[in-house]
Amino acid sequence: MKLTSRLRHAIAAGLALMPAAAWAEPVNISYLTHWSPETVALLETAAKEFAKTNPDVTVTVRAVPFGDLLTTLRSQGGGGEGATIAGIYDLWLPELVRDKLVAPAPEAVAGEVKGAWPAGVVSAASVGGALYGIPNEIDVYALNYNKALFKEAGIAAPPKTWDELKDAAKKLTKKDAGQQGFGMINSWAAGVVHPFASLLVSNGGELVTDGKPALDSKQAGETFQLYEDLIKSGVSDPSMATADANTTGPFLDNFVSGKTGMIIMANWWESALKNGMGDKFSNIATAPIPVGPSGDKPRSISYSWMTVVNAGASETQQKAAWDFLAWLNSPKSGQNGGSAMSGILMSMGILPSRSSDVEAYKDKLGSEFLAGYVGVLADAKPFPVVLGGQEFSESLQQTLEALQYGQVSAKDAQKNAQADATSILERAAKK
Amino acid sequence: MSAEALTGTTAWLPRKRASGGRALLATLMLLVAVASAFPLVWMVLSSLKTTAETMQVPPVWLPRTPNLEAYEKVAGVVNVGRSMWNSLIIASITTAGILLTSMMAGYAFAKYRFRGRTLLFSVLIATMFLPPIVTLIPLYRMVGSMGLSTSLAGVILPNLANAFGIFLMRQFIAGVPDDLIDAARVDGASELLILFKIVMPSIAPAIAALALFAFVYHWNSYLWPLTVLQGNSENYPIVISLSRLLSYNRGAMNTGLVMAGATLAVLPPLILFVFLQKFFVDSIVGSGVKG
Amino acid sequence: MTKTYRASAGIMLTPAVALIGVFILLPMLLTIWLSFQDWSTQTPFDAAVFVGFDNFREIFGSTSIGRDFTGALLNTALYTLMSVALILPLSVAFGLMVYQRSVAGGTMLRTVLFSTYMVPMIAVALVWSKLYSPTEGPLNQMLGLIGIGPQPWLSSPSTALMSIVFLNVWQQVGYFTVLAVAGLTQIPGSLYEAAEIEGANPWQQFWAITLPLLKRTLLFSAVIAIINAVQVFEPVALITQGGPVGSTNVLTYHIRRVGIERAQGGLGSAMAVTLMLSLIVVISAVFAFINRRDDE
Repeated sequence: MKLTSRLRHAIAAGLALMPAAAWAEPVNISYLTHWSPETVALLETAAKEFAKTNPDVTVTVRAVPFGDLLTTLRSQGGGGEGATIAGIYDLWLPELVRDKLVAPAPEAVAGEVKGAWPAGVVSAASVGGALYGIPNEIDVYALNYNKALFKEAGIAAPPKTWDELKDAAKKLTKKDAGQQGFGMINSWAAGVVHPFASLLVSNGGELVTDGKPALDSKQAGETFQLYEDLIKSGVSDPSMATADANTTGPFLDNFVSGKTGMIIMANWWESALKNGMGDKFSNIATAPIPVGPSGDKPRSISYSWMTVVNAGASETQQKAAWDFLAWLNSPKSGQNGGSAMSGILMSMGILPSRSSDVEAYKDKLGSEFLAGYVGVLADAKPFPVVLGGQEFSESLQQTLEALQYGQVSAKDAQKNAQADATSILERAAKK
Repeated sequence: MSAEALTGTTAWLPRKRASGGRALLATLMLLVAVASAFPLVWMVLSSLKTTAETMQVPPVWLPRTPNLEAYEKVAGVVNVGRSMWNSLIIASITTAGILLTSMMAGYAFAKYRFRGRTLLFSVLIATMFLPPIVTLIPLYRMVGSMGLSTSLAGVILPNLANAFGIFLMRQFIAGVPDDLIDAARVDGASELLILFKIVMPSIAPAIAALALFAFVYHWNSYLWPLTVLQGNSENYPIVISLSRLLSYNRGAMNTGLVMAGATLAVLPPLILFVFLQKFFVDSIVGSGVKG
Repeated sequence: MTKTYRASAGIMLTPAVALIGVFILLPMLLTIWLSFQDWSTQTPFDAAVFVGFDNFREIFGSTSIGRDFTGALLNTALYTLMSVALILPLSVAFGLMVYQRSVAGGTMLRTVLFSTYMVPMIAVALVWSKLYSPTEGPLNQMLGLIGIGPQPWLSSPSTALMSIVFLNVWQQVGYFTVLAVAGLTQIPGSLYEAAEIEGANPWQQFWAITLPLLKRTLLFSAVIAIINAVQVFEPVALITQGGPVGSTNVLTYHIRRVGIERAQGGLGSAMAVTLMLSLIVVISAVFAFINRRDDE
């Protein structure tokens, strides 16, 4: 007995020691993303690097417009032909797990992630305690403002409170020149909901507490009221706020051309601003979200992206996928102790979330534009990752847009938002 | 086939038209033509502008020096050749299928009498009024379970027969004289032979029209290929590849690029149309007349 | 019919009938069946659970599901109505312009008008989104030249849907113009000659002769225009995503979002069934209306 089992162990040990290449068959895996072609090129370069040490693995990148990403993922329906790896927005994770479309990370990977990433980001990539993805990008919101316009209007510093915000916006609004003090966004769920949520949490409020919507709170009421005030006083013009399927459009164009004084947006639009403004980009600065009457300190909303693996892919594909992802996100793959993934993200002006990556890019992250964002990261609350989250976002978007266009009052907006959110989250939790 | 030839007269409008009236009419027609052509002209002009010119406020109409830089960028983002090829495959195979199945079924409905003919015809024609969205969800699952997900075959297969095609073919085949067909039968020709050697040549314009209609429709088709192909950009037809242009550079500067891409997508169906429009228009007129 | 012909009929009919049966009729029946089930689009059909009329109750109910659906239904109805109301008269007017012989260029006009029908919807949507741009688009620029202020077009809930209607009408009016010309061709010239002899002017001739005799053509056009309008997708998917404030949320886009993106297959199917029934009612009504006028 003992001899055979020891023999078996010896054989197993021997097998484990043999070079992987000797047993490998070619594996094809695909990576689904919404990134632009230049970024995809960087990813493909990284894949080629990986192939040097893992010649049997070929990685093909499939890119779709952001607006189609979720539908593409969902259309794959758990088949083997779907993409092996997908870059997803953390809000989508709970439903993908519920529908068994994504596979839990192997022990080794999970262990490394838990050690190398901040706890909040890890929890956004986990469901029921099990890790399902490797987090990469983290996005956070801050107040963007145009220093040149501020100087012109005689405003010395960015607003710190809501009253200062309303005041500054008034000074920055010039109706006949088509200039608005504070820019909102519509026709794009995250663009509508996240800035609102940032103001809400800076007012001491929450979107969801213990799985139940908290939009009926006093703090939320004040936030809805702030929006109504901004619209009614004419410092924010909803028709300047439209976004298209590509998350660009008038709201961006107006800020770029100096027609909007302030706007709350995420860090990743840095490249869009730089491209659109050229030298004038130096006029842009960032500041923490203004604090509301019921808030104590500026807070922000954060959300993250991660890469997940298709549960319907074959075992060899899944293993190859996790190997590639682990390498892509490790300090080995990039420069200066950063990972290849962080190199890709930084090229787009996006914040990496892995602690070692944040260290490696300390200088770049210290740029005037990004420093404002990195500063608020510590006090940022993650956008709630719950079942029905996407639908919840979209319905809150509807209510806020109605508020923007003056179709409902702040009080009714609050009532509707809470009612809708409650029914959506309840129904989603039931399944 | 001019209106004059058809009706033998132009008397439906009074002959002596005041020249003021004619000038007004001419102006109106010019306005309509300009309004109709304007968006496409704007599209082509914009595709030849520099990126700075496309972002100018107020908009500049003519590019100072037309250049192809937008087209180069498109080629860098989208595999134009491959996408056009995919479009060609989808459009031509689907069209061939539609022609074949419609001719055969049209022939049966026009020249055979059998029990349930009217009922069957009505049921098939009713499907003409069904918007694709109604069958989208189960159809895409069906195609998936056939293992055709993300493949061109999955895009093509469900569209190989078309109720409108059957309707059109039946209309025109009904006009082919029975004696012609009977004579061929007496000579011992098989039904299929009759269909291809006798009926088909007689209704050639209608077939050309159906072919053009089906080809252009499926070249331009977006929702169904998008649903079937999902993320498999290798198989994207040109119209879906173009939507990738919207993702290009999360910045504000993609107008020229988008216009160049749109111009590329428009060219093949438009060129085809310019050459074959006579058949197209004539058959629409013709199917009404024979009505 | 003799045996050989029955066999031939079988051969001739089988390909078309089989394809349409499997790929259109079968999914249609499935959609009807699924509308009574609680089913996730991610799962195979056998995972469906029967829930009776629950889905229908929800989509007409008071929750956000119901509100979004009835909104989409209304938007689609409005969109269809406006499209048809613009297309029919314009097609007749343009048809007359193309058909007449006193001014040259009718055929040229027909070519230009009809060519827009060949353009892929995605190109149409992309071009018009740039034309409609509040600051960089030529439309507002031209309006400015004649003294009208800049319009929000796609940026305002009150104008966005109409803006898409214009886009749609622009693309399709050529096709319907050709249909109208076909209809005009069928009107015997002798009728006009007789009317002219009796002293009727062109306006009277139009109302007394042209319009009544165009009825069948207009019926056909109306039905096709309705079917086309209900299928609008690309402008919404690529440009407005149903906004702002859901004002351009139309049924095709909404059903795809609910049925595929949110994987709520049962609800999506119930919505599709409702659309189908609405179409049957509307098209029957159009037929009935025309036929009744016929009897008068």
